[in-house]
Amino acid sequence: MIENFIAGSSALFGDPFTLAIFFFGVIGGMLFGAIPGVSMLTLAAILLPFTSDLSPAQGVMLFAVIYCTGTYGGAITAILFNIPGAPENAPTAFDGYPMTKQGKSGKAVGAAVLCSAIGGVASALVMMAATQPLATWAIRNIGPPEIFALVFFGLAVASSVGGRTIWKGWLSVLLGLLIATIGQDPVGGINRFNFGFADLAAGIAFVPAILGFFAVSEIFVQAEKRATGTFNAPKVGMSFPTLFELWAQKIAVLRSILVGFFCGILPGIGATLAAFMGYGEAVRWSKDKESFGKGNIEGVISSETANNAATGAAMIPLLALGLPGGALTAMMVAVFQMHDLEPGPLVFYNSPDLIWVVFAAMFYANLSILFVGVLETKTILYLLKIPFQFLAPLILLLASIGAYIGRGLVLDVMVMFLAGIIGFLLRRSGYSIPGIVLGIILGKIGEQNFAQGMQMVHYDIVAYFSRPICSLLILAGVLTLGVGVYQALRAPAKKA
Amino acid sequence: MKLRKILSVSALSSMMALSVSAVSAFECKVKEASMAKPGGFPDRALTMIVPYGPAGGSGQIAAAMAEAVTELTGVSINRDHKSGGSGTVGMTAYMAAPTDGYTVLEHIDDASSAHALDSSKPHPGRDLIPLVTAQVTFSQIYIRSNETRYSDWPSFVKWVKAQDGKATIANVSKEGSMERVTMKFITDASNMSIQQISFDKGAPRYGALLGGQVDALYEQPGDVRKFLDSGDFKPILTIFNERPGVFANVPTHKEMGMDFEPLLRFRGFYVHKDAPADRVEWLKWAFQRGYCQDSYQKFNESKFMTVIDSYRDTEGSIELINATIPQYRAVYKQMGLDVK
Repeated sequence: MIENFIAGSSALFGDPFTLAIFFFGVIGGMLFGAIPGVSMLTLAAILLPFTSDLSPAQGVMLFAVIYCTGTYGGAITAILFNIPGAPENAPTAFDGYPMTKQGKSGKAVGAAVLCSAIGGVASALVMMAATQPLATWAIRNIGPPEIFALVFFGLAVASSVGGRTIWKGWLSVLLGLLIATIGQDPVGGINRFNFGFADLAAGIAFVPAILGFFAVSEIFVQAEKRATGTFNAPKVGMSFPTLFELWAQKIAVLRSILVGFFCGILPGIGATLAAFMGYGEAVRWSKDKESFGKGNIEGVISSETANNAATGAAMIPLLALGLPGGALTAMMVAVFQMHDLEPGPLVFYNSPDLIWVVFAAMFYANLSILFVGVLETKTILYLLKIPFQFLAPLILLLASIGAYIGRGLVLDVMVMFLAGIIGFLLRRSGYSIPGIVLGIILGKIGEQNFAQGMQMVHYDIVAYFSRPICSLLILAGVLTLGVGVYQALRAPAKKA
Repeated sequence: MKLRKILSVSALSSMMALSVSAVSAFECKVKEASMAKPGGFPDRALTMIVPYGPAGGSGQIAAAMAEAVTELTGVSINRDHKSGGSGTVGMTAYMAAPTDGYTVLEHIDDASSAHALDSSKPHPGRDLIPLVTAQVTFSQIYIRSNETRYSDWPSFVKWVKAQDGKATIANVSKEGSMERVTMKFITDASNMSIQQISFDKGAPRYGALLGGQVDALYEQPGDVRKFLDSGDFKPILTIFNERPGVFANVPTHKEMGMDFEPLLRFRGFYVHKDAPADRVEWLKWAFQRGYCQDSYQKFNESKFMTVIDSYRDTEGSIELINATIPQYRAVYKQMGLDVK
């Protein structure tokens, strides 16, 4: 492995043009991830036709690098403006933005930079060491029932994030799950709750919903504060987390690497589930659950470590089996095909040079997040100094563009503003915005896999428990729900 | 009424027979290498609405055809992906777009089956003008190459029957889909019961067979070519009227005693029927000639789309659509679906 890694590094650094492409991918991924309204997918779609003029190794490497740094880039806007660059950065906003409001933006961004790098590098190392056996294990042992159980396990803990009471937290999650059912059902293709609107047949898209619930509702909240004279501009905090603060989170980092990696190797799942699961596990194991959603740095660390840990892992099913884990890895398939190559088992035998250039580039791209990210952050933090009356319309404009650009539908902009209004009202009543978003995103994944799983077990739900991983995850989820109910019922008694 | 009686559509059958014999040597059917732009049209980039995501089969053919047309004419084509609702979101957006010829549509046979189920949905051969059908392909049933429980179609059927309905097959089995309809043909004709597991994305679908989560897979050969090349999958049944050359050792459904007309997957490009006639003629030339470009042919070759003749001009496309819609409609009625 080390010899191959050195050979891949030599090929990367030995050719100035390849190196230039590498740096272009690093900077481009970060910028497109960080600018609200566009994402790493936008950059990838723009670049796709041009990759035919590159060598296969350069083309695939460019996309892999954009994947690593773009996944991190969206964390910056999530933390500073409550605008997650992509769904996989949404949990970062849960605690990152409250930290900004408390004047701890530097600490939050610093933690995101460092943990994205750690998660990504760790994932790249495992990817290099064990791509083929891990991919084979994952597809043999993890099917739709297991993915559903994993989602159930993740949702079970969501109720304790952000709501004023556990009951309001659960109602928030249930609202998210209800919203997730809008559109065609994922298995039979039957229309639900679309009220005759063809555009709603595709359901509520993640990005407009996230932008509405997070960014737009936040603008309304801040505007109300200005109107009532209670507005306090967020302080620009430039102090990065200390080594001691970060060392104290070592368990959270390690746990999130494992969670992120596990989610990443599942075909079709990718970084979004990883980030939510990483965050959920941080809440589950914390002794201070109520501090999550209010500015706990562990929330930022867990989410960002997990989503970057998923990047290397998502390359495993892609390279070993030809199974992409998400939209960007699916575009990588197109890059392979432009060069008459197909990702899959044969690529290791036919194009080992390409594989090791990509592996090496992903390792260095994750490492570069640390250095380039720090420089970028020092600059971008000053955006917080823009007065609210200028910043708010700018954010609304960028969010509107971001909502529209995905599918080019005005409906998505309307959904964003509606979500903003609903989010604003629900926040005033103590409901959990993270819970709603978690319900929307995990609801879609969970429902699809539950329905597929039910077909696989011939609609005999008891058969779910004949699958060891599945039954373990469901039992853990039920236990979590039970403990939550017990604690919620005991809390008023204690106070009395 | 027996399905086989409903489905005895001889026109489609003869069309396909011609298609197989036509692929031995590619010859461009459009002889004119250039065409004057009518009134300067187009003097700006075209927009192509694609009702599916950029990474799937539609996204890839849209990119390949856009590249070919641009190579040929110098006119840029911006692709606008409006995915969701099995193509209905994109179709709705297209029907609301200006009919000046600057906006074209990519769509697949789902447009025909959607109209068959609900006649208020656009008829792709009447409400739209097909510019070219650029991919026509058949389906196959695949198993893992290292499978030990069965090795060919007869042994697979025998094994499935022994499982008493518990055997599984992965496909895109949404209500009324080509896959679900064809699986009904197969299970009725084979007198077997098999549980269909619907995966809307390719990766989990193929992973399910690779990892042993399901027992078989229903798919088109171009989509699983890499697994065929790597030796992971092997076809045990071709759902087509005759054996294509590259699958000469795989029996067809008819050879296995299933007497139904196969439904084909086809992808093509359309313009609104109200677009100015001279512009439509130029678009027909550009897309039909674009099909002949080396880059497009290379793309189709890589997708196993030259195994049978993938090309249909406007008239051929309308013939294909008109043969397909009644076929779906008859089966939907037989399946008890609410045909409007």
